[in-house]
Amino acid sequence: MISRSFNRHPLKLGFTFRRHNSTAPAQLQETTSEDVTPLKINPLEHPDYFQVHNLFTVKDLFDARVHCGHKEGSLNDYMRPYLYGSRLGHLMFDLDITAKHLRRALNFTAHIAYRGGIICFFNRNALNCHTVEKTAKECGEYAHTRFWRGGIFTNANHQFGAVTRLPDLCIFLNTQNNILNQHTAVRDSAKMLIPTIGIVDTNCNPNLITYPVPGNDDTPVAIELYCKLFKEAILRGKAERVKFLQENA
Amino acid sequence: MVFVFCFTVKHSILATRCSVRGKVLSNIFQYRTGSSRVTNNVTDNLTDWETLSKKKKISKAMKAYLERAKEHDEFMKKQHFEFNVGKRHLANMMGEDPETFTQKDIDRAIEYLFPSGIYDPAARPLMRSPEEVYPARKAAEFDEAGRPHHFLFYTGKASFFKVLYDAAENIQELQKFEDKVIRKKASPDPNNSLKLEGSVWFTKEQLEKTLVETIEDIEYTNFKNVMERLVSLPYSYRCKDFIEQFRKPLTTQRFALEIPKPNYDEDGRAFITTYECLRKKARGDVTIKSPGTGNISINGKDITYFEDIQSREQVIFPLIFTGMQDRVDVVCNIEGGGPSGQAGAIRWGIAWSLRSFVEKDMLEKMQVAGLLTRDHRRRERKKPGQPGARKKPTWKKR
Repeated sequence: MISRSFNRHPLKLGFTFRRHNSTAPAQLQETTSEDVTPLKINPLEHPDYFQVHNLFTVKDLFDARVHCGHKEGSLNDYMRPYLYGSRLGHLMFDLDITAKHLRRALNFTAHIAYRGGIICFFNRNALNCHTVEKTAKECGEYAHTRFWRGGIFTNANHQFGAVTRLPDLCIFLNTQNNILNQHTAVRDSAKMLIPTIGIVDTNCNPNLITYPVPGNDDTPVAIELYCKLFKEAILRGKAERVKFLQENA
Repeated sequence: MVFVFCFTVKHSILATRCSVRGKVLSNIFQYRTGSSRVTNNVTDNLTDWETLSKKKKISKAMKAYLERAKEHDEFMKKQHFEFNVGKRHLANMMGEDPETFTQKDIDRAIEYLFPSGIYDPAARPLMRSPEEVYPARKAAEFDEAGRPHHFLFYTGKASFFKVLYDAAENIQELQKFEDKVIRKKASPDPNNSLKLEGSVWFTKEQLEKTLVETIEDIEYTNFKNVMERLVSLPYSYRCKDFIEQFRKPLTTQRFALEIPKPNYDEDGRAFITTYECLRKKARGDVTIKSPGTGNISINGKDITYFEDIQSREQVIFPLIFTGMQDRVDVVCNIEGGGPSGQAGAIRWGIAWSLRSFVEKDMLEKMQVAGLLTRDHRRRERKKPGQPGARKKPTWKKR
């Protein structure tokens, strides 16, 4: 943990070149070689069991315009630590920080999928609605991109007419209902102790989100990238699960 | 007797709901088959982490479902027992053999023993087997690990939003296809274009019935917008099957079953008699004979039976409209009412009888012209305190 947080703030200039290819912690490359050994590893003790660090590079994030935030005036103060600066009145994210958060979120997603958890995708932007639903369908998980009727989590037994298993992880591809209000499911997940992953833009509040990922939550290219990454992480988790089941059958 | 009556009344309240629930059940099964088709991935079947430790634990949701199912089975068993006892009781009362007492006999016995003049048949006493009366239980919408089968389950209206999802999917595919065609410098084939003139979109109620989900007005509007968007694309004929799932044909075979075949008299002439030709207080019967020469006989007289021109026009209007005025003979007996009522009754009788002698498209025209519509208006009663039905005494301020 200490070594990871060290890497987060590379002060030496010589390190920056490496960072652009990958922000993955240096320690991880060593542990991958250990993976080959027949020794049984506990997935929970491994820092990156599903190798999610190689899913993307900072360059990918930049190409998908993940760094673009909203205008200065709409900044939520809680988002200040994730910013790189402001360009022509538009806020820019520090993609190194974003990459770190995104990797952590992907790792968590893969672990949940490995454990057979239910993962539900959320998004209230009509433009990206179909992409998100398609992603959920393709990785055998769930999506809710429509109007949120109150009480789906907090009053589930009544809403669905029976005892219902709620999602084990909620992934918010945007956390806002519109530019003013936060999605009610963010609050409801927190109430029901459901861990959440949320792409938080500069105008969003990351406080109630378990794994906030600072980044652009409007651009379709960015959403497509997130969807691709989460899908891949889930599929890796599930593949690992199948492998485990076959070994222990 | 009291026992049976309570039994039946309890059933009668629930009886109307059972048919709807049957559809719910079939829909759930559709879900299940649908989801198994969609998620043929191995990973989805291995969802329960507990299976890893070889202790097959069942999720809370499934446990609750199984409990409910068991409860329901016990309840149904009890209801069955009560139904059989009631049936035997009824058979004994009617002096028939309880072993061969069928549902038809039960209905007859109930009607005899508990005569009811309640207007709505659904509110009358009734005794049916518990399967028909109690709604079928919903099959579980999730597997043993509690994972729902449908990927939009948490929206609460899975099948409706699946339709929107499919529509969006189709739109994207068509746009991709269009791009491909443009790249090849081709243009859409006009012969292939989708023809939707003969049908309309499902109404909200019809859509709700097909999806077995309740839909809000705004959601129905969204549905129509999405489908219109899909249809407006130049290559929409490629997803014709999908579109036609939600369209209802406009032309119905309204007349095919009802129109009677003409009879033949001793001269070999085809004839049709329509009894009960009613209008206002007039009633009578009309016989059309074909072939004929246009003779009209009303109570033994010709068209001059009516003194005023308007009534005469009324009588010959259907003949002129269909162009049959020289080809058929009309014989009518009419009584009661005044000239306009009698003329109206004859007019309807002639039009109604002519259905057997005209072409199908003429039938449509007659329908549109209102010739085949009965006029149910009756004389309005006089109200006390005023001189007529609506007429008021002359009003003077002072």
